[in-house]
Amino acid sequence: MTVLLSAIATFTLGGFMSYTLADGLYESRLETALEDTSSAVNTVNRTLSGAAVSDETTLQTLLNSLVPTLEEAGSRKVALLRSPGQPQLQLLQSPVSADLDFQLIPDELRDAVRQGGNQLSYQAVELSSDQSTSPGLIVGAPVDVPLAGQFELYLVFDFFESQLTLDYVQQVLTIGGLILLAIIGVVSYFVTRRLVKPVLKAVEVSEEFAKGDLDRRVSEKGEDAVSTLARSLNRMARSLQQQIDQLDQLSKMQQRFVSDVSHELRTPMTTIKLAGEVIFAKRDDLDPSLRRSAELLHDQISRFEQLLADLLEISRYDAKAVTPDIESVDLNGIVGRAIASIEPLAMNRETEIQIDIPSGSVDVELDPNRIERLLRNLLANAVEHGLGKPVRISVASDGHASAVTVSDQGDGMDQEQMDRVFDRFWRADPARQRSVGGTGLGLAIAMEDALLHNGWLEVASEKNKGTTFRLTLPVKTGYRLTDSPLPMQSTEELA
Amino acid sequence: MKILVVDDDNALREMVGIVLDNAGYQSVFCPDGAQAMAVFEEEKPDLVLLDVMLPGEDGVSVCKKIRAVSGIPIIMLTARGETEDVVNGLEAGADDYIVKPFQPNELTARVKARLRPISGSEASVITVGPLVLDVQGHEVKRGEQVISLTPLEFKLLYTLASKPNLVFSREMLLDQVWEYDYKADTRLVNVHVQRLRAKVEDDPDNPKIVTTVRGIGYRAGSG
Repeated sequence: MTVLLSAIATFTLGGFMSYTLADGLYESRLETALEDTSSAVNTVNRTLSGAAVSDETTLQTLLNSLVPTLEEAGSRKVALLRSPGQPQLQLLQSPVSADLDFQLIPDELRDAVRQGGNQLSYQAVELSSDQSTSPGLIVGAPVDVPLAGQFELYLVFDFFESQLTLDYVQQVLTIGGLILLAIIGVVSYFVTRRLVKPVLKAVEVSEEFAKGDLDRRVSEKGEDAVSTLARSLNRMARSLQQQIDQLDQLSKMQQRFVSDVSHELRTPMTTIKLAGEVIFAKRDDLDPSLRRSAELLHDQISRFEQLLADLLEISRYDAKAVTPDIESVDLNGIVGRAIASIEPLAMNRETEIQIDIPSGSVDVELDPNRIERLLRNLLANAVEHGLGKPVRISVASDGHASAVTVSDQGDGMDQEQMDRVFDRFWRADPARQRSVGGTGLGLAIAMEDALLHNGWLEVASEKNKGTTFRLTLPVKTGYRLTDSPLPMQSTEELA
Repeated sequence: MKILVVDDDNALREMVGIVLDNAGYQSVFCPDGAQAMAVFEEEKPDLVLLDVMLPGEDGVSVCKKIRAVSGIPIIMLTARGETEDVVNGLEAGADDYIVKPFQPNELTARVKARLRPISGSEASVITVGPLVLDVQGHEVKRGEQVISLTPLEFKLLYTLASKPNLVFSREMLLDQVWEYDYKADTRLVNVHVQRLRAKVEDDPDNPKIVTTVRGIGYRAGSG
C-alpha cells in the first residue's frame, strides 16, 4: 500500500517535472528561433537592399548565395520561396537548403506568412530523417525582393538535439523515480517490520497465554505504543498467574482440609461405632426404652457414617482430587453385584427386580467400585420410589458405548423436579418419610462419577408413571460418546 | 491369648479393648510408637493391632521392627483411601489390615483368623520341591536347614502345597488363608507371595516353588 501510494506520488511528480521541462525547453527554443528568424530577415533585407541587382541572373545568384549563409549545420535549414502569383521574372527559382523538402512547409503557414505583414509566423512540425523523426519548428516571414516582388523566408529549426536532451532528462527522471521507489519500498518494509514485528510477537505470546502458558513474556523494550501494549500484556499475565496460584493454593488447602477432617473424624467415628455395636449387641438385656435407644443409636450411626463418607467424597470431587482406578471389567458382573447388594432392601419392600442383560460379557474400561456404587444408588432410589412395583435394570453395548438403564413405575417427577434431581441434598418430596435414609448426596455423587468416566447420567420421568435413569459410558476411556445404545425407555414399555 | 493394641487415641484404644475382651482375648495397650517395641518385648503378645498414624514413630516403622524379631501376626489399622499406607504396611510385614471405621465383628473376625491354628490336615508332613513342611511343628526345612516363616507365610505355603495340582486364584487364597468371605484386597496376596518367595526360592525372580499361572493365580511347584 505504502509502495503503491509512493509510486503514484513519484510518477505524478516525475510527469509534472518532465512536462514543465519540455515546455520550458520548447519556449526557450521558440524564442531563440524567433530571434534568429528576425535577424535572418534583417540580413536578407540588408543584403538585398545593399546589392546592385540589375538582371534576373544576378538576382538568382544572390538569392542562391543567401540561403547557405543562413543555414546552420544540422539544426537549421532555410527556404526562400517566392510567393505565388507574382507577375515579374517568371523564371526566377526559389532557393532551398540542399536536403530540405519544401513540401514540408504547410500551406496554412505560407498563407499566414503572406497575410501576416511583417509579423513572424511559426508552426511546430515533425521532421523525419532516414532513421528517426524529431520535433521541429518552421518560422516564416515575408521578404521583399527587388525586381522579383514578394518572397517568403522560412527557417526550419530541427530540435533533434533538444529532444535528445529532453529524452535524456526524462530517462534520468524515470530511473531516478524507480530508484526512489525502490528505496521507499525497502525503507517502508523495514520500518513496517520494525513496527509490526513486536506486535506480531505480542500476538504470538498472547496466543500462548490463551493456551495456558502464563510463563511467557513479551519484550518490553522502548517507549512507544507497542511497548506499552507489551507491558500491559505482561501485567495481565502476571495478574492471571497470581490468581491461578491463589486458586491452586486454595484448592490444595481444601484438599488438605478434607484429608485432615476425614482423618480426625475417622478415629472418634470408629470408637462411636464400636461402642454403638457393643450396646446394640446387648440390647436384649436392656429395658424397653434403653433398647429402643440402642437401636436408634445403631441406625443413626450407620447413617451418619454414610453421610460422612458422602460428604468427603463430594469434597474430593470439589477439590478435583479424584482419580479413577480404571480396569477393563464385565459390566454385567458389576450390575450383578449391585443387584445383590440391593436385594435385602428390595425384599423388604416386596419389590421385584427385573433384569435384562445381554448374554456374554460386556467389557468396559471403568472404575468398578465407583460404577457399582453408582448403580447401587440408582437401584436403591428406584426401589424406594417404586411403590413396590417392579424395577427394571437393562444393559446394552454397541462396541463403542455401553449403557445401563434403571426404571421404576413409581411417583415420577415433573420437569422442575427433574431439573433438580442431581442437586445436593435435594429431595423430591421433603414431606416424604425417609425410610431408606439416603444422604441426599447419592445422585450428586453419581453424576460426578459418570462425568469422571466421560459418561452421561440422564433422567426421564413422568408424574405418576415412573422414572428412568440412564448411565452411558464409553467402552474405552478415550472414546467420546455420541449416542447411547439404550433408549430412554418410556414408562409404558415397562408393564 | 494376649493382644497388643498400639493406638494414640485413648477412647478408641479402650473401646477396642472392650471388644476384644468380649471376644475372650486379653488386651495390653501402648499409646506411642516409640514405646511400642519396649511394650512388645515385655508383654510378648500373640498378636499386634497397629495404628498407622502414631506419635513418636509411625506404624510402618514399628511393624518393620517387630517383624525383625518375631513372626507373630500383625494387623494394621488404617484410614480409608490411604492406599500408600496399606502397601507400605504390607511390605513392612503386616499380615492384614482393617480400615477405620470398622465393626466389632469385623475386628474380631480378622483377629480370630490370624490366631486360628491350621486345621483339617491329615498329613503331618508335606513336601514341595526341595522343601519339607512339618505341619504340626509349623516348620519348613530345606535339607537340614530350617527356614523361618511367619504363621501366615506358613499357612500360605501349606495351602498351596497341600493341593499341588490346583491353581489357586487370589480370591481363593484370600478366602482360605486370610478367611475373607467377601471381595477383599488382592494386594494382600501379591505382597505375601513375594515375601514367601524371598524366603523359600533359590532365585525369587525365577520362582520354582510358588509359581505364577498367568491370568489365574498361583500354584505350588511347576506342575
